Amino acid sequence: MAARPTPPDRTAPGGRNPRFPGYDVLSQRGTWDAVTAGVVLARTGPQPALRFFTPAEEAVAEPLLDHLLAQWEEPRVPVLRMVDARLAELQTDGWRYTDMPEDPQAWRRSLAGLDVDAAARHQGAHFADLDRPHQAGLLQAVQDLGSDRWHGMPAGHVWNLWTRYACTAFYSHPWAWNEIGFGGPAYPRGYARLGIGVREPWETADQAPRDPVQRDRAPRGPEGDGT
Amino acid sequence: MTAQGGHRPDPGGGGRAASAFQTLRQSARTHRAVRERNASAWLLPNDGTRFDHALIDRMRRYPDGDEVDLVIVGCGAGGATLAQRMARAGWSVVVLEAGPFWDPDTDWVSDEAGSHHLYWTEPRVISGSDPVPLGSNNSGRGVGGSMVHFAGYVPRLHPSDFRVLSDHGVGADWPLDYADLRPSYERIEEELPVAGQYWPWGDPHSYPYPPHPVGGNGEVFLRGAAALGIEARVGPVAITPGRFGNRPHCVYRGFCLQGCKVNAKASPLITHVPDALVHGAEIRADAMATRIETDPHSGLATGVRYVRGGREHVQRARTVAVAGYSIETPRLLLNSADRRFPEGLCNDHDLVGRYLMVQGAPQTAGRFAEEIRMYKAPPPEVTSEAFYETDPSQPYVRGFSVQNISPLPITWAEHVAAQGHWGEDLRAYMRDYVHWATLGALCEFLPYADNRITLADEHDRHGLPVADMAYSMGDNDRQLVKAARTAMEDILKAAGATEVITIERYAHLVGGCRMGRNATEGVVDADLRSFAVPNLLITDGSVLPTQGSANPALTIMALVDRAALRLAEGARSGLRAPVRDTGTV
Ligand SMILES: Cc1cc2nc3c(=O)[nH]c(=O)nc-3n(C[C@H](O)[C@H](O)[C@H](O)COP(=O)(O)OP(=O)(O)OC[C@H]3O[C@@H](n4cnc5c(N)ncnc54)[C@H](O)[C@@H]3O)c2cc1C
Ligand code: SF4
Repeated sequence: MAARPTPPDRTAPGGRNPRFPGYDVLSQRGTWDAVTAGVVLARTGPQPALRFFTPAEEAVAEPLLDHLLAQWEEPRVPVLRMVDARLAELQTDGWRYTDMPEDPQAWRRSLAGLDVDAAARHQGAHFADLDRPHQAGLLQAVQDLGSDRWHGMPAGHVWNLWTRYACTAFYSHPWAWNEIGFGGPAYPRGYARLGIGVREPWETADQAPRDPVQRDRAPRGPEGDGT
Repeated sequence: MTAQGGHRPDPGGGGRAASAFQTLRQSARTHRAVRERNASAWLLPNDGTRFDHALIDRMRRYPDGDEVDLVIVGCGAGGATLAQRMARAGWSVVVLEAGPFWDPDTDWVSDEAGSHHLYWTEPRVISGSDPVPLGSNNSGRGVGGSMVHFAGYVPRLHPSDFRVLSDHGVGADWPLDYADLRPSYERIEEELPVAGQYWPWGDPHSYPYPPHPVGGNGEVFLRGAAALGIEARVGPVAITPGRFGNRPHCVYRGFCLQGCKVNAKASPLITHVPDALVHGAEIRADAMATRIETDPHSGLATGVRYVRGGREHVQRARTVAVAGYSIETPRLLLNSADRRFPEGLCNDHDLVGRYLMVQGAPQTAGRFAEEIRMYKAPPPEVTSEAFYETDPSQPYVRGFSVQNISPLPITWAEHVAAQGHWGEDLRAYMRDYVHWATLGALCEFLPYADNRITLADEHDRHGLPVADMAYSMGDNDRQLVKAARTAMEDILKAAGATEVITIERYAHLVGGCRMGRNATEGVVDADLRSFAVPNLLITDGSVLPTQGSANPALTIMALVDRAALRLAEGARSGLRAPVRDTGTV
């Protein structure tokens, strides 16, 4: 933690935008067409209450999604609600692997599976009761199984299901766009500055162009409270 | 603006002035000629809105009981092209389209997650040793079909693609030659229209319009290719570089895969549907075909059963064309089994659903110190077909092409997550988004009989069995993916990338009802007419026997252009159903 905490950035997930400080794609919303603006802004408004996950499932899904996206601090992209809404509305991608149940069923089974794993390895505990490193350990164990089966499903397909839903929700949110410097919707205005090393006047330059590979590599997975 | 003007290096070198002249000459004569045979671009509104609703209000409407000359299932690349051609030829045409009649202004958004409704998301099962995820990646719905959200690359096949079996003892030969298709390629390229540099590969040719400026991603590709002496060209894309009829030019917003709200990128909705409508075709949207009706006595198709607004109807017709693409077309034929065709319509030789193909489409991204911002400019920018043909020094046959692709944030997150990154690691990679450039390859996977569509036990909301798509790669396929990956990594490194990451994926569906010289070789002939039912055609991507390393849409439209000409020319009288329909509706 820095000695003097900077005031949180209310337009970036977790209140920090280290690479594009102050960049807010929503400041451009006046230039977006009304239909697109409606769709994007709805994500920043109130989300419907949970309809799909049972309380027991919610208790597992919330920390699972937090881990997958390292969302530990406010403001948070409401990923749990966004995933719940998709499943409640059967807004799936339409296909399923032949060795997997339909997505809603696969979610329920995999969340129950994490609770079973928690109980088996941690004296009957619930997944939600474990501390973060232990939760992360259980998730890493699922990922490490690769194509082996896990609670009757290929672990890789379960992992793919989790990350697909988590990433689609998180990176559809304008706060996440701020964090990655994405220009967002661009109709009808379009982009005028194409090419290497150029920006629209309203885009922010990367202030900390760190190569994620060159930086000190932590092992894969979450890094606690992310400093 | 760095990307304007002619200062970009031409990696092909030489012949630049001559090719520029050819392009210029071609574009000067095309406008008028195109308008005379397909006025779609001039029938779009000129007031900043994107579709003229009067065209729909004034659309001719046929009662089900009318026997129309032609009913078409599916209003995508193949179906819409056929509708426009046959309506022009004076045929009465009804198109049944399962999805909606899109209005780009109100139905499409500049947003990834908000474009989910463009894809065919009815249930499907994927199996085999290399199952192919579908959804956003493979097929669309609604008037315009998959081209509504296609990337916009429109290369031709090479002459060698038509004789893979003769040349290499694998795959299949086509029942026609490249030369048979060339005039159709040229016509469709003028109608889309296509922009790109002079094309040195396959059958060398120019394009009607000059290339677009490229964004950072395209610059990286050109830079890397030039450093390695690999030829790469800007194009060919179905995107207007200037005004075309009432279609404005591209604004470089980068959302081609979400449907072009500008009307700059081609889709049948704006390239063929308007002209079809003014020539009397009816496009019946939200109408899901459930069965092709046949007459057991005459052996002819009599119409199509479909569900609209929860009610079942039958549209009678003298000729039926199926254009639902590589999954839905075989599914519809299999679901149309009857006493004469117990294994599915046209399936006497167990060919329906087989020889389905996808292209191997590994995607390699490179990290650059500079900001690339690959989300700007249309995702299709630069192509190299330098690896397209068989290289005798390699252990594999056939080849691959390399193109730019420019993933938006969600797709990019999938790319990063596929490397195994999650949590803080994933976030850190994602924050680096503006520094990455991405190339995609298209590898020519060979057709195999066991890669196929069958009916699953599961049913959709209409009560129809859903499709099961089985896919497994062969040895040659795997070697191609490996070679393509190496080539892309080399190009990106030569352009200055400090790290490269590759994910394996697939793109484009074709095959499933392939054409052949006779009934044991294919479901349809070179004129796309089925061998088993003389007045039944299949006019979509499912007829391709092989796929080359080219994106398929242009070839699909060209095949249908040719088939339509032949249908209109001679065969009409022979196609009129000789007997009355029996007991439908
Ligand atoms: C993300 C993506 C990017 C692509 N990029 C490119 C590219 O850059 N270049 C390229 O050449 N190709 C590209 N393609 C592929 C290209 O779009 C397709 O190959 C082409 O559109 C297929 O044409 P088609 O006529 O066979 O089917 P489609 O265009 O898919 O049309 C089929 C239509 O039939 C309808 N239909 C299906 N079943 C029924 C039924 N039972 N009743 C009524 N209607 C039905 C569907 O709703 C659909 O509208 C891309 C595809 C995708 C998904
Ligand atoms: S980049 Fe151009 S062609 Fe693509 S969607 Fe935007 S305006 Fe249309």
